[in-house]
Amino acid sequence: MSQRQITLKILRYNPQEAGSEPRLQSYSLETAEAMTLFIALNEIREHQDPTLQFDFVCRAGICGSCAMMVNGRPRLACRTLVAELPDTVVLAPLPFFELIGDLSVNTGKWMRGMSERLHTWLHTMEESPDICRIEERMEPEDAEAVYEMDRCIECGCCVAACGTARMRQDFVGAVGFGKIARFRLDPRDIRTDADYYELIGDDTGVFGCMSLLACHDVCPKSLPLQNQIAFLRRKMAQVSIRRE
Amino acid sequence: MSDSIFIIQSGLAEGRRKSRLPGLLDIMQSASGLVLALFMWGHMFFVASILLPQGETIMWIVTRFFEGYFFFGRSIHWLVSCVAAFVALVFVTHALLAVRKFPAGYRQFRAIRSHTRAMRHEDSTLWIWQVYTGFLLFFLASAHLYQMMIWPQNIGPYASSDRVWSDGLWPFYLAMLLAVELHAGIGLYRLAVKWDLLPASRVFLKRLKWALTAFFLILGLATLGAYMKIGYEHRYQVGERYTPETLPDWLLRLAPAEDFQELRRMRTIPAEEAR
Amino acid sequence: MKILMTDVLVIGGGLAGLRAAIGAKRRGHHVLVLSLVPPKRSHSAAAQGGMQASLANVIRGQGDCEDTHFEDTVRGSDWGADQIVARMFVNTAPKAVRELAAWGTPWSRVRRGAHEVIINAEKVTLTERDEAHGLIAQRDFGGTKKWRTCHVSDGTGHAMMFTMSDQLIRHDIEVLERTEALALIHDGERCYGAVVRNLVSGEIFACMAKATMIATGGAGRLYRVTTNAVICEGMGHALALETGIAPLGNMEAVQFHPTGIFPAGILVTEGCRGDGGLLRDVDGHRFMPDYEPEKKDLASRDVVSRRMEQHIRSGKGVPSRFGEHLWLDITLLGAHHIGPKLREVKEICETFLGIDPVHHWIPVRPAQHYTMGGVRTNHTGESPWLKGLFAAGEAACWDLHGFNRLGGNSVAETVVAGMIVGEFIADFCDNPANTVAQPVKLAQEFIRREKDKLEKLLNQPGKENPFRLCTEMQEIMTRCVGIFRSANGLQEGICGLQRLLQRSRSLGISGKSRGSNPELVAAYRLRRMLKLALTIAHGALQRTESRGAHFREDFTRRDDRNWLKRTLAFWPSDPETLLPRLEYEPIDIKAMELPPGWRGYGAKDYIAHPDTTERQFEIEQIKSQTEHCDRFAQQEALMPYTACLPESLRGKNERLDEPLESAQ
Repeated sequence: MSQRQITLKILRYNPQEAGSEPRLQSYSLETAEAMTLFIALNEIREHQDPTLQFDFVCRAGICGSCAMMVNGRPRLACRTLVAELPDTVVLAPLPFFELIGDLSVNTGKWMRGMSERLHTWLHTMEESPDICRIEERMEPEDAEAVYEMDRCIECGCCVAACGTARMRQDFVGAVGFGKIARFRLDPRDIRTDADYYELIGDDTGVFGCMSLLACHDVCPKSLPLQNQIAFLRRKMAQVSIRRE
Repeated sequence: MSDSIFIIQSGLAEGRRKSRLPGLLDIMQSASGLVLALFMWGHMFFVASILLPQGETIMWIVTRFFEGYFFFGRSIHWLVSCVAAFVALVFVTHALLAVRKFPAGYRQFRAIRSHTRAMRHEDSTLWIWQVYTGFLLFFLASAHLYQMMIWPQNIGPYASSDRVWSDGLWPFYLAMLLAVELHAGIGLYRLAVKWDLLPASRVFLKRLKWALTAFFLILGLATLGAYMKIGYEHRYQVGERYTPETLPDWLLRLAPAEDFQELRRMRTIPAEEAR
Repeated sequence: MKILMTDVLVIGGGLAGLRAAIGAKRRGHHVLVLSLVPPKRSHSAAAQGGMQASLANVIRGQGDCEDTHFEDTVRGSDWGADQIVARMFVNTAPKAVRELAAWGTPWSRVRRGAHEVIINAEKVTLTERDEAHGLIAQRDFGGTKKWRTCHVSDGTGHAMMFTMSDQLIRHDIEVLERTEALALIHDGERCYGAVVRNLVSGEIFACMAKATMIATGGAGRLYRVTTNAVICEGMGHALALETGIAPLGNMEAVQFHPTGIFPAGILVTEGCRGDGGLLRDVDGHRFMPDYEPEKKDLASRDVVSRRMEQHIRSGKGVPSRFGEHLWLDITLLGAHHIGPKLREVKEICETFLGIDPVHHWIPVRPAQHYTMGGVRTNHTGESPWLKGLFAAGEAACWDLHGFNRLGGNSVAETVVAGMIVGEFIADFCDNPANTVAQPVKLAQEFIRREKDKLEKLLNQPGKENPFRLCTEMQEIMTRCVGIFRSANGLQEGICGLQRLLQRSRSLGISGKSRGSNPELVAAYRLRRMLKLALTIAHGALQRTESRGAHFREDFTRRDDRNWLKRTLAFWPSDPETLLPRLEYEPIDIKAMELPPGWRGYGAKDYIAHPDTTERQFEIEQIKSQTEHCDRFAQQEALMPYTACLPESLRGKNERLDEPLESAQ
């Protein structure tokens, strides 16, 4: 592959600094083979602009830290090969989440709030199981189905891509639905649909979702969000029909 | 006043147990949309009958059929008014439920519009179009339904054509056609993916959606063109109602005797056979 | 000056830290967790292949028990491990897996009946027992006698991390995210918490605690080619080192993982080889059996990595633009296996290499992977030098891993150590003798000191760029302190690192923001990383033997006579210092359950310690005296350890073939 020059237009803004105004700043960069946005951004920071803020942790697409808007769409920067991008690329922070500075956003804070709100932990009868004993059995298929949804990395792409969330700040978001679906699939969890209805059975929850499905289309882990959200909607609708 | 009003007013009703209402409303929004879309497609086929060979006659038959003409021996126009009123009711329900999802205020509107523009994500962009077309339909469909409720007698090959051409309503119908076809097509696709009850992939559903939209748009444009053409040719006889020159025997038997005496005689159908 | 008070301060939001936090919280203490990133992003989540625990559910794990796990671990460590700690660990590992199962981790499960697997490049049909159906499954990993690695597909760490973090939220434990500890607050004898910095606002404040725990993971970013996340910069190690009081143990013991994808260094799991994948050279030849006829591709990591580099040196590497590499071949496992069981691997190959591992070989070369060294602690996880300072997980030298860690033992250690040390921390806090008045003045003094340091750094007129110096350091470490080490190379490395340390005194920072400022962060971390790098290099230079992952080309044999001891590194407080002070802690063969010998793979010759034969003889005697006893009593007679465990974790582990009496 031949090397080429690309321009990264990066949204710069530091909300903590008085007088800082959001603007796009251009950086020119020579590409290299197998260069990802992780490598490109670090190169810029090392050689052109040490003040540039962005987040990376695992740089292998498994931790979800580096989600950002790449030409208007949320993606994991570490998994984005520069070779796939056009000559001019606009990088911007994920919308919706609290901005820390430049490309860095506070997804962690929001995700913790989401977990607290949706009680995203396994609910069991036994408070402290006897861990010396042989574990409870679980069908291999059930474990696989749970893991399928458990692969979510809470990167925030789905929420940043969600038109509903853009309009209502209190929307649960696909990540939240994914969590509920995960625990609903888990035979160890004792909660019923009526319990889940208390968590997502309103317009900030599953009935507020307008099925724009950008969540499904941008999910870097390819979680089956469309089907799972539809499934939850049907179950929650049943509860609302049956409920007194 | 019930006690619960005061509990709700104090903001303590939520947080105990969630209301069933949001779920029911979501179902109703989907169901009303489905009814409207299916009605609209049926309606489209009926008005498109004008495109068939001897279209004017067929359209006249269709119209009379819905007026009960062939069953009661005369046109009962309030039947049409009733249908229109029912559709209007569903329509208002749907509008009321759907408007909850509209961007509230400029901030939200700007957020969603910049979002869909920058994302270039088809399903999200389609939703914006659903908002635009839905907004248009507030006015267009309301006016249309009102008209049908108040003047149900003004439906027919000439009456409708006069309305389109001589009353100058063709731009209105053109706009409504575009709005309603887009809105319904997108809406039905959305229903399919939202409830995920059809054993079809999203890619297939999306293709089907576009195919149906294209089909109904072409059909609709052709139909509108046909009415415009008839209306143009009929521009000097505005107000005249269409009377078919011929009818098949079985229909002739159903039609009121006094309306087609000449025709009956020619076909030797005795008057007493008519109701 | 803001000062937060808590009972337990946990620095680090990975598996070890969170498990300990939950343990302490459940015992009624107030816990505060500091984390550089949201906890779920911690590097623990990157563990792929699995966690070792002798559950013995699968047919190839039948007969597995604590004893085998213990022996594998000690052999893997090349006898560097603390055997008491290893015993505590192997007894708790099954409990850890089962606890996580009860907390929600979707462990892969055993399916009854026949299934086909690849073992030693051949198709083998295994038949799982009916009674094992639905129990937690194990896979094969390097350096183990039995299939012992419990897993969740190949996203084990992720699934564990999310379970743990969700439990943390359930227990309502506060996490200060994007907060970094800058220095431990101590008076030379007792640790009182840490001075911390909010990485977003730049606010510097103190968190004072009865017990402070370092659980910050590894220091892989000292190297250029590493599988570690970018936050693995060893800042927890540095916290202890910079006290000048609490030493680091065995820092020269650095593990290189055989299969980092080339050239990015991103990990593909040992599970690839555990499930039947093979290493191949430029000719497509499977070369590992030539070197290691016993364990072949599944010898311990230090051995496989060394053999790979050796093979490349012998001219069998695959040339490429970026240098030479070898191949990892998992095509023989087939799409039906790779799809569900090696999903992350597939994704990584597709994204970063643009290849499908179902059809193509994966370019790999060893990459830095694990820091066996860490804050030296005793078996309770506390530093014997600084009371109230605890450490667990990769940041600690508890010493489970000695000079080489077995695959699957690190995630296991995080949770197990979190369980054990969490209990000991709770005990520590419960003890009225440890409830002392918090020396607030001391904390203020430490805050001031750190603030002054940062102000000086921001305002000094230096020219050096912290990012570039960091890259230079990483180059030196990879070149001179890598898999093959020698006196010349190490000496050269030390000189280079010392020059960098001197240059780092004149760093210049262009952005003056006191708030979020990546350059400032890089600058103050750089100096600490250089100290750690020097600690590793110096320790490696002094250790004139080869043990586990530490391999000296000029001293190729393991030398139990002179070097069966732990390196302890102290950083003197004199600011002009350019080298750590080293001390050594002997490892007593006479207290060992398993005295040194051949590991079962790797080099066969070593310099024996005179105590070894004596201890061997003793052991034979004890064994013959206790012949009639069960394995637990025999073990207890050889090396009693149960009393070292917290009471709640002393129970025996039930297995299909080892039912517990219902009375228990």
